[in-house]
Amino acid sequence: MSIIELQQLTKTYGSARGIKNLSFRVEEGEIFGFIGPNGAGKSTTIRTLLGLIYPTSGSAKIFGKDILLHGQEIKKEIGYLPSEVFYYDNMKVKDLLHYSASFYKKDCTKRMNELAALLELDVNKKIDDLSLGNKKKVGIVQGLLHEPRLIILDEPTSGLDPLMQQRFFELLLEENKKGSTILFSSHILSEVQRLCHRVAIIKEGELVSLEKMSTLKANNYKRFKLEASTAVEESSFAIEGVTELVIRDKEVSFMYKGNLNAILRVIASIEIANLWIEEPDLEEIFMHYYEKEA
Amino acid sequence: MNIFWREMKAQRKSLIIWCVGMVFLLIAGMSKYATLSVPGESQTLNELMADMPKSLQAIFGVGSLDLSTVSGYYGVLFLYIAMMATIHAGMLGATIIAKEERDKTAEFLLVKPITRSMMLTSKLAAALVGVVILNGVTSIGSLMAVQSYSNGENVNQDIMLLMGGLFILQLLFMLLGSAVASLLKLPKRAAGLTSGLLLLTFFISVVIDISGNLDALKFLTPFKYFDAKTVLEAGSLSMGYMLLSLALMVLALVGTYVGYNKRDLKV
Repeated sequence: MSIIELQQLTKTYGSARGIKNLSFRVEEGEIFGFIGPNGAGKSTTIRTLLGLIYPTSGSAKIFGKDILLHGQEIKKEIGYLPSEVFYYDNMKVKDLLHYSASFYKKDCTKRMNELAALLELDVNKKIDDLSLGNKKKVGIVQGLLHEPRLIILDEPTSGLDPLMQQRFFELLLEENKKGSTILFSSHILSEVQRLCHRVAIIKEGELVSLEKMSTLKANNYKRFKLEASTAVEESSFAIEGVTELVIRDKEVSFMYKGNLNAILRVIASIEIANLWIEEPDLEEIFMHYYEKEA
Repeated sequence: MNIFWREMKAQRKSLIIWCVGMVFLLIAGMSKYATLSVPGESQTLNELMADMPKSLQAIFGVGSLDLSTVSGYYGVLFLYIAMMATIHAGMLGATIIAKEERDKTAEFLLVKPITRSMMLTSKLAAALVGVVILNGVTSIGSLMAVQSYSNGENVNQDIMLLMGGLFILQLLFMLLGSAVASLLKLPKRAAGLTSGLLLLTFFISVVIDISGNLDALKFLTPFKYFDAKTVLEAGSLSMGYMLLSLALMVLALVGTYVGYNKRDLKV
Protein backbone atom coordinates (compact mmCIF):
# COMPACT_ATOMS: atom_id res chain seq x y z
CA MET A 1 0.00 0.00 0.00
CA SER A 2 1.16 3.52 -0.68
CA ILE A 3 1.75 5.44 2.50
CA ILE A 4 1.86 8.79 0.75
CA GLU A 5 0.26 9.47 -2.58
CA LEU A 6 0.45 12.85 -4.30
CA GLN A 7 -1.72 13.54 -7.30
CA GLN A 8 -1.00 16.65 -9.30
CA LEU A 9 -0.47 18.47 -6.03
CA THR A 10 -0.10 22.18 -6.67
CA LYS A 11 0.43 25.03 -4.27
CA THR A 12 1.04 28.49 -5.58
CA TYR A 13 1.81 31.52 -3.52
CA GLY A 14 1.52 35.06 -4.69
CA SER A 15 5.10 34.98 -5.86
CA ALA A 16 6.81 32.25 -7.85
CA ARG A 17 7.34 30.00 -4.87
CA GLY A 18 5.34 26.83 -4.59
CA ILE A 19 4.95 23.42 -6.19
CA LYS A 20 3.49 22.48 -9.52
CA ASN A 21 1.65 19.26 -10.38
CA LEU A 22 3.67 17.10 -8.06
CA SER A 23 2.81 13.40 -8.29
CA PHE A 24 4.60 10.52 -6.64
CA ARG A 25 4.03 7.71 -4.19
CA VAL A 26 5.91 6.63 -1.12
CA GLU A 27 5.46 2.93 -0.41
CA GLU A 28 5.18 1.28 2.97
CA GLY A 29 8.50 0.53 4.59
CA GLU A 30 10.50 2.84 2.38
CA ILE A 31 13.00 5.47 3.29
CA PHE A 32 12.17 8.03 0.69
CA GLY A 33 14.55 10.87 -0.05
CA PHE A 34 13.23 14.19 -1.13
CA ILE A 35 16.00 16.35 -2.42
CA GLY A 36 16.44 19.71 -4.00
CA PRO A 37 18.15 23.00 -3.26
CA ASN A 38 16.73 25.51 -0.81
CA GLY A 39 13.52 27.03 -2.10
CA ALA A 40 12.73 24.13 -4.43
CA GLY A 41 9.45 23.42 -2.66
CA LYS A 42 10.34 20.62 -0.27
CA SER A 43 8.99 22.31 2.83
CA THR A 44 5.93 23.54 0.93
CA THR A 45 5.14 19.96 -0.06
CA ILE A 46 5.55 18.68 3.47
CA ARG A 47 3.51 21.48 5.02
CA THR A 48 0.74 20.84 2.53
CA LEU A 49 0.75 17.14 3.37
CA LEU A 50 0.47 18.04 7.05
CA GLY A 51 -2.44 20.41 6.49
CA LEU A 52 -0.59 23.52 7.68
CA ILE A 53 -1.25 25.07 4.28
CA TYR A 54 -3.84 24.04 1.73
CA PRO A 55 -3.25 22.88 -1.84
CA THR A 56 -4.28 25.18 -4.67
CA SER A 57 -5.23 22.15 -6.74
CA GLY A 58 -4.61 18.43 -6.85
CA SER A 59 -4.88 16.10 -3.92
CA ALA A 60 -2.87 13.89 -1.65
CA LYS A 61 -3.51 10.86 0.47
CA ILE A 62 -1.69 9.53 3.49
CA PHE A 63 -2.43 5.96 4.62
CA GLY A 64 -5.00 5.97 1.79
CA LYS A 65 -6.97 8.80 3.39
CA ASP A 66 -7.42 12.25 1.95
CA ILE A 67 -5.27 14.81 3.76
CA LEU A 68 -7.97 17.46 3.82
CA LEU A 69 -10.81 15.26 5.00
CA HIS A 70 -9.02 13.07 7.51
CA GLY A 71 -6.18 15.28 8.73
CA GLN A 72 -6.77 14.64 12.39
CA GLU A 73 -6.90 10.88 12.03
CA ILE A 74 -3.84 10.74 9.79
CA LYS A 75 -1.77 12.79 12.17
CA LYS A 76 -2.18 10.25 14.95
CA GLU A 77 0.41 8.15 13.18
CA ILE A 78 2.74 10.80 11.86
CA GLY A 79 5.86 12.06 13.53
CA TYR A 80 7.21 15.31 12.17
CA LEU A 81 10.46 17.11 12.67
CA PRO A 82 10.34 20.63 11.21
CA SER A 83 13.42 22.20 9.68
CA GLU A 84 13.56 24.98 12.21
CA VAL A 85 12.78 24.00 15.74
CA PHE A 86 10.97 26.64 17.76
CA TYR A 87 9.30 25.73 20.99
CA TYR A 88 7.46 27.43 23.76
CA ASP A 89 9.78 29.53 25.85
CA ASN A 90 10.08 28.99 29.52
CA MET A 91 9.31 25.32 29.18
CA LYS A 92 11.57 22.58 30.34
CA VAL A 93 12.44 19.86 27.87
CA LYS A 94 10.44 17.29 29.77
CA ASP A 95 7.41 19.60 29.98
CA LEU A 96 7.43 19.97 26.23
CA LEU A 97 7.87 16.25 25.68
CA HIS A 98 5.00 15.45 28.03
CA TYR A 99 2.91 18.11 26.31
CA SER A 100 3.69 16.54 22.96
CA ALA A 101 2.92 13.05 24.27
CA SER A 102 -0.38 14.20 25.75
CA PHE A 103 -1.82 14.50 22.25
CA TYR A 104 -1.47 10.79 21.58
CA LYS A 105 -3.73 8.38 23.28
CA LYS A 106 -1.05 6.08 24.54
CA ASP A 107 1.68 6.03 27.13
CA CYS A 108 4.82 7.34 25.53
CA THR A 109 6.92 7.81 28.66
CA LYS A 110 9.10 4.75 28.17
CA ARG A 111 9.97 5.52 24.57
CA MET A 112 10.52 9.17 25.44
CA ASN A 113 13.10 8.28 28.07
CA GLU A 114 14.80 5.80 25.77
CA LEU A 115 15.14 8.37 23.02
CA ALA A 116 16.35 11.10 25.35
CA ALA A 117 18.97 8.77 26.76
CA LEU A 118 20.08 7.65 23.34
CA LEU A 119 20.56 11.21 22.14
CA GLU A 120 22.06 12.32 25.47
CA LEU A 121 19.41 14.96 25.94
CA ASP A 122 19.10 16.56 29.37
CA VAL A 123 15.34 16.75 29.93
CA ASN A 124 15.59 19.02 32.97
CA LYS A 125 16.98 21.99 31.08
CA LYS A 126 14.93 24.88 29.81
CA ILE A 127 14.48 24.82 26.07
CA ASP A 128 15.55 28.43 25.87
CA ASP A 129 18.97 27.57 27.20
CA LEU A 130 19.63 24.83 24.68
CA SER A 131 22.00 25.05 21.74
CA LEU A 132 20.67 24.60 18.22
CA GLY A 133 21.80 20.98 18.13
CA ASN A 134 20.14 20.19 21.44
CA LYS A 135 16.94 21.87 20.32
CA LYS A 136 17.06 19.64 17.28
CA LYS A 137 17.29 16.65 19.60
CA VAL A 138 14.16 17.82 21.39
CA GLY A 139 12.53 17.93 17.97
CA ILE A 140 13.64 14.41 17.19
CA VAL A 141 12.37 13.00 20.46
CA GLN A 142 8.98 14.76 20.22
CA GLY A 143 8.65 13.51 16.67
CA LEU A 144 9.41 9.89 17.47
CA LEU A 145 8.08 9.34 20.97
CA HIS A 146 4.70 8.02 19.86
CA GLU A 147 6.27 5.46 17.53
CA PRO A 148 4.62 6.80 14.39
CA ARG A 149 3.97 4.77 11.27
CA LEU A 150 5.18 7.62 9.09
CA ILE A 151 8.11 9.82 10.00
CA ILE A 152 8.49 13.08 8.10
CA LEU A 153 11.81 14.86 8.46
CA ASP A 154 12.53 18.27 7.01
CA GLU A 155 16.26 18.96 6.90
CA PRO A 156 16.73 17.02 10.10
CA THR A 157 20.48 17.03 10.60
CA SER A 158 21.37 20.71 10.69
CA GLY A 159 23.02 21.51 13.98
CA LEU A 160 23.76 17.93 14.95
CA ASP A 161 27.37 17.00 15.40
CA PRO A 162 28.66 14.05 13.33
CA LEU A 163 28.43 11.61 16.22
CA MET A 164 24.82 12.54 16.90
CA GLN A 165 24.06 12.45 13.21
CA GLN A 166 25.37 8.92 13.11
CA ARG A 167 23.27 7.93 16.10
CA PHE A 168 20.23 9.62 14.61
CA PHE A 169 20.65 7.74 11.33
CA GLU A 170 20.99 4.46 13.20
CA LEU A 171 17.83 5.33 15.06
CA LEU A 172 16.02 5.99 11.80
CA LEU A 173 17.19 2.72 10.30
CA GLU A 174 15.99 0.94 13.41
CA GLU A 175 12.57 2.60 13.20
CA ASN A 176 12.46 1.68 9.54
CA LYS A 177 13.24 -1.94 10.37
CA LYS A 178 10.35 -1.91 12.83
CA GLY A 179 8.09 -0.90 9.98
CA SER A 180 8.05 2.88 9.88
CA THR A 181 8.03 4.63 6.55
CA ILE A 182 10.27 7.67 6.36
CA LEU A 183 10.10 10.77 4.19
CA PHE A 184 13.44 12.45 4.41
CA SER A 185 13.83 15.89 2.91
CA SER A 186 17.28 17.31 2.51
CA HIS A 187 19.64 19.33 0.38
CA ILE A 188 22.62 17.46 1.77
CA LEU A 189 23.00 14.65 -0.67
CA SER A 190 25.43 12.45 1.14
CA GLU A 191 22.96 11.83 3.94
CA VAL A 192 20.21 10.96 1.50
CA GLN A 193 22.64 8.68 -0.25
CA ARG A 194 23.39 6.84 2.96
CA LEU A 195 19.83 6.25 4.03
CA CYS A 196 17.31 6.29 1.26
CA HIS A 197 15.92 3.59 -0.95
CA ARG A 198 14.42 5.94 -3.50
CA VAL A 199 14.76 9.63 -4.17
CA ALA A 200 12.63 12.28 -5.73
CA ILE A 201 14.55 15.23 -7.07
CA ILE A 202 12.62 18.46 -7.07
CA LYS A 203 13.50 21.73 -8.73
CA GLU A 204 11.56 24.97 -8.77
CA GLY A 205 8.49 23.15 -7.54
CA GLU A 206 8.56 20.43 -10.15
CA LEU A 207 9.58 16.82 -9.99
CA VAL A 208 12.73 16.42 -12.06
CA SER A 209 13.39 12.78 -11.44
CA LEU A 210 12.26 9.88 -9.33
CA GLU A 211 14.62 6.98 -9.14
CA LYS A 212 15.81 4.13 -7.04
CA MET A 213 18.96 5.04 -5.25
CA SER A 214 20.67 2.01 -6.76
CA THR A 215 19.70 3.03 -10.30
CA LEU A 216 20.71 6.57 -9.72
CA LYS A 217 24.08 5.58 -8.40
CA ALA A 218 25.07 2.50 -10.31
CA ASN A 219 23.52 2.50 -13.73
CA ASN A 220 23.72 5.97 -14.91
CA TYR A 221 26.82 7.96 -14.59
CA LYS A 222 30.51 7.33 -14.31
CA ARG A 223 33.11 9.97 -13.88
CA PHE A 224 36.12 9.47 -16.13
CA LYS A 225 39.45 11.14 -15.68
CA LEU A 226 42.48 10.30 -17.79
CA GLU A 227 45.92 11.55 -18.49
CA ALA A 228 47.16 11.07 -22.02
CA SER A 229 50.73 10.86 -23.22
CA THR A 230 50.09 13.11 -26.16
CA ALA A 231 47.70 15.95 -26.87
CA VAL A 232 44.08 14.85 -27.15
CA GLU A 233 41.61 15.88 -29.82
CA GLU A 234 38.29 17.01 -28.48
CA SER A 235 36.58 15.30 -31.38
CA SER A 236 37.63 11.86 -30.16
CA PHE A 237 35.13 12.14 -27.34
CA ALA A 238 32.27 13.30 -29.50
CA ILE A 239 30.16 10.24 -28.79
CA GLU A 240 26.77 10.00 -27.23
CA GLY A 241 26.67 9.97 -23.43
CA VAL A 242 29.66 12.18 -22.80
CA THR A 243 29.00 15.36 -20.89
CA GLU A 244 30.94 17.94 -18.97
CA LEU A 245 33.96 17.28 -21.11
CA VAL A 246 36.98 19.20 -19.96
CA ILE A 247 40.31 18.89 -21.76
CA ARG A 248 43.27 20.67 -20.24
CA ASP A 249 46.54 19.86 -21.96
CA LYS A 250 46.80 16.13 -21.61
CA GLU A 251 44.22 15.82 -18.89
CA VAL A 252 40.71 14.83 -19.81
CA SER A 253 37.68 14.54 -17.55
CA PHE A 254 34.03 13.92 -18.31
CA MET A 255 30.83 12.27 -17.13
CA TYR A 256 29.60 9.32 -19.07
CA LYS A 257 26.27 7.56 -19.26
CA GLY A 258 25.76 4.65 -21.62
CA ASN A 259 27.49 1.54 -22.90
CA LEU A 260 30.87 1.25 -21.22
CA ASN A 261 32.37 -0.70 -24.14
CA ALA A 262 31.84 2.21 -26.47
CA ILE A 263 33.71 4.64 -24.28
CA LEU A 264 36.46 2.17 -23.47
CA ARG A 265 37.07 1.71 -27.19
CA VAL A 266 37.56 5.46 -27.50
CA ILE A 267 39.97 5.46 -24.58
CA ALA A 268 41.84 2.48 -25.94
CA SER A 269 42.56 4.40 -29.11
CA ILE A 270 44.46 7.01 -27.13
CA GLU A 271 47.88 6.56 -25.66
CA ILE A 272 47.10 7.04 -21.98
CA ALA A 273 49.35 7.47 -18.98
CA ASN A 274 46.75 7.16 -16.28
CA LEU A 275 43.03 6.47 -15.90
CA TRP A 276 40.43 6.89 -13.16
CA ILE A 277 36.86 5.69 -13.41
CA GLU A 278 34.82 6.78 -10.43
CA GLU A 279 31.37 6.28 -9.12
CA PRO A 280 29.99 9.80 -9.03
CA ASP A 281 28.47 10.74 -5.75
CA LEU A 282 24.92 11.92 -5.66
CA GLU A 283 26.05 15.49 -5.53
CA GLU A 284 27.52 15.24 -8.98
CA ILE A 285 24.48 13.49 -10.37
CA PHE A 286 22.33 16.04 -8.75
CA MET A 287 24.29 18.99 -10.10
CA HIS A 288 24.06 17.30 -13.42
CA TYR A 289 20.27 17.40 -13.30
CA TYR A 290 20.36 21.05 -12.53
CA GLU A 291 22.94 22.06 -15.09
CA LYS A 292 21.18 20.16 -17.82
CA GLU A 293 18.12 22.26 -17.31
CA ALA A 294 19.90 25.55 -16.97
CA MET B 1 -7.86 19.71 27.51
CA ASN B 2 -4.07 19.72 27.35
CA ILE B 3 -4.07 22.90 25.26
CA PHE B 4 -6.46 24.54 27.72
CA TRP B 5 -4.21 23.83 30.69
CA ARG B 6 -1.13 24.90 28.77
CA GLU B 7 -2.82 28.23 28.05
CA MET B 8 -3.93 28.63 31.65
CA LYS B 9 -0.34 28.19 32.72
CA ALA B 10 0.92 30.52 30.01
CA GLN B 11 -1.37 33.38 31.01
CA ARG B 12 -1.04 32.92 34.77
CA LYS B 13 1.70 35.43 35.34
CA SER B 14 0.28 38.18 33.17
CA LEU B 15 -3.19 37.66 34.60
CA ILE B 16 -1.85 38.16 38.11
CA ILE B 17 -0.21 41.40 36.99
CA TRP B 18 -3.43 42.62 35.39
CA CYS B 19 -5.38 41.79 38.55
CA VAL B 20 -2.90 43.60 40.74
CA GLY B 21 -3.04 46.59 38.39
CA MET B 22 -6.81 46.58 38.52
CA VAL B 23 -6.88 46.47 42.31
CA PHE B 24 -4.36 49.29 42.40
CA LEU B 25 -6.52 51.35 40.04
CA LEU B 26 -9.54 50.76 42.27
CA ILE B 27 -7.76 51.64 45.48
CA ALA B 28 -6.00 54.66 44.04
CA GLY B 29 -9.13 55.85 42.27
CA MET B 30 -11.41 55.47 45.26
CA SER B 31 -8.94 56.98 47.71
CA LYS B 32 -9.20 60.21 45.71
CA TYR B 33 -12.88 60.12 46.53
CA ALA B 34 -12.04 60.15 50.21
CA THR B 35 -10.40 63.53 49.88
CA LEU B 36 -13.18 64.84 47.68
CA SER B 37 -16.06 63.63 49.78
CA VAL B 38 -15.32 65.88 52.73
CA PRO B 39 -18.58 67.78 53.27
CA GLY B 40 -18.59 71.02 51.40
CA GLU B 41 -15.70 69.99 49.17
CA SER B 42 -17.75 67.67 46.98
CA GLN B 43 -20.11 70.35 45.83
CA THR B 44 -17.17 72.48 44.84
CA LEU B 45 -15.85 69.62 42.80
CA ASN B 46 -19.11 69.31 40.91
CA GLU B 47 -18.99 73.03 40.24
CA LEU B 48 -15.37 72.87 39.20
CA MET B 49 -16.15 70.09 36.75
CA ALA B 50 -19.17 71.94 35.43
CA ASP B 51 -16.95 74.94 34.74
CA MET B 52 -14.56 72.87 32.69
CA PRO B 53 -14.92 72.87 28.91
CA LYS B 54 -17.13 70.09 27.62
CA SER B 55 -14.27 68.39 25.80
CA LEU B 56 -12.25 68.14 28.98
CA GLN B 57 -15.27 66.76 30.81
CA ALA B 58 -15.68 64.18 28.10
CA ILE B 59 -12.08 63.04 28.32
CA PHE B 60 -12.34 62.71 32.08
CA GLY B 61 -15.57 60.81 31.49
CA VAL B 62 -17.43 63.06 33.87
CA GLY B 63 -20.46 64.06 31.86
CA SER B 64 -23.41 64.62 34.11
CA LEU B 65 -22.50 62.10 36.78
CA ASP B 66 -22.92 63.40 40.28
CA LEU B 67 -19.44 63.32 41.75
CA SER B 68 -20.70 63.95 45.23
CA THR B 69 -22.23 60.47 45.45
CA VAL B 70 -20.01 57.43 45.66
CA SER B 71 -21.86 55.67 42.82
CA GLY B 72 -21.50 58.74 40.61
CA TYR B 73 -17.81 58.91 41.37
CA TYR B 74 -17.44 55.20 40.73
CA GLY B 75 -19.23 55.73 37.41
CA VAL B 76 -16.39 58.03 36.34
CA LEU B 77 -13.81 55.52 37.48
CA PHE B 78 -15.69 52.83 35.58
CA LEU B 79 -14.53 54.25 32.26
CA TYR B 80 -10.92 53.58 33.20
CA ILE B 81 -11.77 50.17 34.60
CA ALA B 82 -13.54 49.27 31.36
CA MET B 83 -10.61 50.55 29.35
CA MET B 84 -8.18 48.39 31.27
CA ALA B 85 -10.30 45.25 31.28
CA THR B 86 -11.08 45.48 27.57
CA ILE B 87 -7.42 46.02 26.65
CA HIS B 88 -6.62 42.89 28.62
CA ALA B 89 -9.40 40.96 26.92
CA GLY B 90 -8.60 42.16 23.41
CA MET B 91 -4.89 41.48 23.68
CA LEU B 92 -5.49 38.11 25.30
CA GLY B 93 -7.94 37.07 22.59
CA ALA B 94 -5.59 38.14 19.84
CA THR B 95 -2.38 36.81 21.34
CA ILE B 96 -3.67 33.44 22.43
CA ILE B 97 -4.50 32.62 18.80
CA ALA B 98 -1.69 34.48 17.05
CA LYS B 99 1.21 33.36 19.21
CA GLU B 100 1.47 29.88 17.73
CA GLU B 101 2.25 31.45 14.39
CA ARG B 102 4.24 34.32 15.86
CA ASP B 103 6.52 31.98 17.83
CA LYS B 104 6.51 29.41 15.02
CA THR B 105 5.08 26.75 17.27
CA ALA B 106 2.17 26.17 14.89
CA GLU B 107 4.39 23.66 13.14
CA PHE B 108 4.60 21.80 16.42
CA LEU B 109 1.04 22.08 17.65
CA LEU B 110 -0.97 21.66 14.48
CA VAL B 111 0.76 18.50 13.31
CA LYS B 112 -0.61 16.81 16.41
CA PRO B 113 -3.82 14.84 15.93
CA ILE B 114 -6.14 17.78 16.55
CA THR B 115 -8.26 19.91 14.25
CA ARG B 116 -7.79 23.63 14.09
CA SER B 117 -11.26 24.09 15.58
CA MET B 118 -10.32 21.96 18.58
CA MET B 119 -7.33 24.20 19.15
CA LEU B 120 -9.46 27.34 18.88
CA THR B 121 -12.06 26.01 21.31
CA SER B 122 -9.45 25.13 23.93
CA LYS B 123 -7.74 28.47 23.58
CA LEU B 124 -10.94 30.52 23.67
CA ALA B 125 -12.02 28.59 26.74
CA ALA B 126 -8.74 29.47 28.45
CA ALA B 127 -9.11 33.13 27.43
CA LEU B 128 -12.67 33.11 28.74
CA VAL B 129 -11.46 31.90 32.12
CA GLY B 130 -8.88 34.69 32.16
CA VAL B 131 -11.56 37.25 31.40
CA VAL B 132 -13.89 35.85 34.06
CA ILE B 133 -11.12 35.96 36.66
CA LEU B 134 -10.26 39.58 35.90
CA ASN B 135 -13.95 40.48 36.00
CA GLY B 136 -14.33 38.66 39.33
CA VAL B 137 -11.36 40.44 40.84
CA THR B 138 -12.66 43.77 39.56
CA SER B 139 -16.12 43.08 40.97
CA ILE B 140 -14.90 42.06 44.41
CA GLY B 141 -12.36 44.89 44.45
CA SER B 142 -15.01 47.42 43.45
CA LEU B 143 -17.50 46.21 46.04
CA MET B 144 -14.91 46.41 48.78
CA ALA B 145 -13.37 49.71 47.71
CA VAL B 146 -16.69 51.46 47.21
CA GLN B 147 -18.26 49.99 50.35
CA SER B 148 -15.69 51.66 52.54
CA TYR B 149 -16.74 55.09 51.27
CA SER B 150 -20.45 54.46 50.81
CA ASN B 151 -21.74 56.03 54.05
CA GLY B 152 -24.78 53.85 53.95
CA GLU B 153 -25.50 54.54 50.29
CA ASN B 154 -26.53 51.19 48.73
CA VAL B 155 -24.20 50.75 45.82
CA ASN B 156 -23.80 46.99 45.48
CA GLN B 157 -26.52 46.60 42.94
CA ASP B 158 -25.21 49.45 40.79
CA ILE B 159 -21.73 47.96 40.84
CA MET B 160 -22.90 44.49 39.90
CA LEU B 161 -24.89 45.96 37.05
CA LEU B 162 -21.83 47.77 35.73
CA MET B 163 -19.77 44.61 36.14
CA GLY B 164 -22.33 42.77 34.02
CA GLY B 165 -21.90 45.39 31.32
CA LEU B 166 -18.13 45.16 31.74
CA PHE B 167 -18.23 41.40 31.23
CA ILE B 168 -20.08 41.79 27.94
CA LEU B 169 -17.52 44.38 26.80
CA GLN B 170 -14.67 42.08 27.78
CA LEU B 171 -16.15 39.17 25.87
CA LEU B 172 -16.78 41.35 22.88
CA PHE B 173 -13.20 42.61 22.69
CA MET B 174 -11.75 39.17 23.42
CA LEU B 175 -13.63 37.73 20.45
CA LEU B 176 -12.78 40.73 18.32
CA GLY B 177 -9.13 40.05 19.11
CA SER B 178 -9.40 36.39 18.23
CA ALA B 179 -11.19 37.26 15.00
CA VAL B 180 -8.43 39.70 14.04
CA ALA B 181 -5.81 37.03 14.75
CA SER B 182 -7.73 34.39 12.82
CA LEU B 183 -8.82 36.34 9.78
CA LEU B 184 -5.54 38.11 9.11
CA LYS B 185 -2.27 36.38 8.46
CA LEU B 186 -0.40 38.92 10.57
CA PRO B 187 0.49 37.09 13.77
CA LYS B 188 3.00 39.71 14.91
CA ARG B 189 0.52 42.55 14.57
CA ALA B 190 -2.72 40.95 15.73
CA ALA B 191 -2.51 42.27 19.31
CA GLY B 192 -1.45 45.72 18.10
CA LEU B 193 -4.27 45.92 15.60
CA THR B 194 -6.79 44.88 18.23
CA SER B 195 -5.54 47.57 20.62
CA GLY B 196 -5.71 50.06 17.78
CA LEU B 197 -9.30 49.10 17.10
CA LEU B 198 -10.06 49.46 20.78
CA LEU B 199 -8.53 52.91 21.02
CA LEU B 200 -10.38 53.95 17.91
CA THR B 201 -13.74 52.99 19.40
CA PHE B 202 -12.75 54.68 22.64
CA PHE B 203 -11.91 57.82 20.70
CA ILE B 204 -15.27 57.67 18.93
CA SER B 205 -17.02 57.51 22.29
CA VAL B 206 -15.10 60.61 23.46
CA VAL B 207 -16.03 62.45 20.27
CA ILE B 208 -19.68 61.54 20.82
CA ASP B 209 -19.48 62.99 24.34
CA ILE B 210 -17.84 66.20 23.17
CA SER B 211 -20.14 66.92 20.29
CA GLY B 212 -23.28 66.03 22.22
CA ASN B 213 -25.31 65.53 19.06
CA LEU B 214 -23.80 62.39 17.58
CA ASP B 215 -25.86 59.96 19.63
CA ALA B 216 -26.81 58.16 16.43
CA LEU B 217 -23.24 56.94 16.20
CA LYS B 218 -23.28 55.24 19.59
CA PHE B 219 -23.71 51.82 18.02
CA LEU B 220 -20.20 52.20 16.55
CA THR B 221 -18.46 52.10 19.90
CA PRO B 222 -18.99 49.41 22.50
CA PHE B 223 -17.84 51.88 25.15
CA LYS B 224 -21.19 53.60 24.72
CA TYR B 225 -23.26 50.42 24.96
CA PHE B 226 -23.13 50.29 28.73
CA ASP B 227 -22.21 53.86 29.56
CA ALA B 228 -22.09 54.22 33.36
CA LYS B 229 -24.28 57.30 33.35
CA THR B 230 -27.09 55.69 31.35
CA VAL B 231 -26.88 52.40 33.18
CA LEU B 232 -27.00 54.05 36.60
CA GLU B 233 -29.93 56.24 35.61
CA ALA B 234 -31.90 53.42 34.02
CA GLY B 235 -31.01 50.87 36.69
CA SER B 236 -30.56 48.23 34.00
CA LEU B 237 -28.47 47.37 30.95
CA SER B 238 -29.96 48.36 27.62
CA MET B 239 -31.62 45.36 26.00
CA GLY B 240 -30.96 46.72 22.51
CA TYR B 241 -27.24 47.05 23.09
CA MET B 242 -27.10 43.65 24.72
CA LEU B 243 -28.58 42.15 21.59
CA LEU B 244 -26.21 44.17 19.41
CA SER B 245 -23.27 42.95 21.51
CA LEU B 246 -24.47 39.40 21.19
CA ALA B 247 -24.77 39.74 17.42
CA LEU B 248 -21.24 41.17 17.20
CA MET B 249 -19.89 38.37 19.37
CA VAL B 250 -21.49 35.73 17.20
CA LEU B 251 -20.06 37.44 14.14
CA ALA B 252 -16.57 37.55 15.67
CA LEU B 253 -16.84 33.93 16.74
CA VAL B 254 -17.84 32.81 13.27
CA GLY B 255 -15.02 34.95 11.83
CA THR B 256 -12.57 33.29 14.20
CA TYR B 257 -13.50 29.71 13.32
CA VAL B 258 -14.09 30.19 9.61
CA GLY B 259 -11.07 32.46 9.14
CA TYR B 260 -8.66 30.20 10.97
CA ASN B 261 -9.90 27.03 9.31
CA LYS B 262 -9.81 28.43 5.81
CA ARG B 263 -6.47 30.11 5.57
CA ASP B 264 -2.92 28.89 5.25
CA LEU B 265 -1.00 29.09 8.47
CA LYS B 266 2.00 31.31 8.49
CA VAL B 267 4.87 28.90 8.92
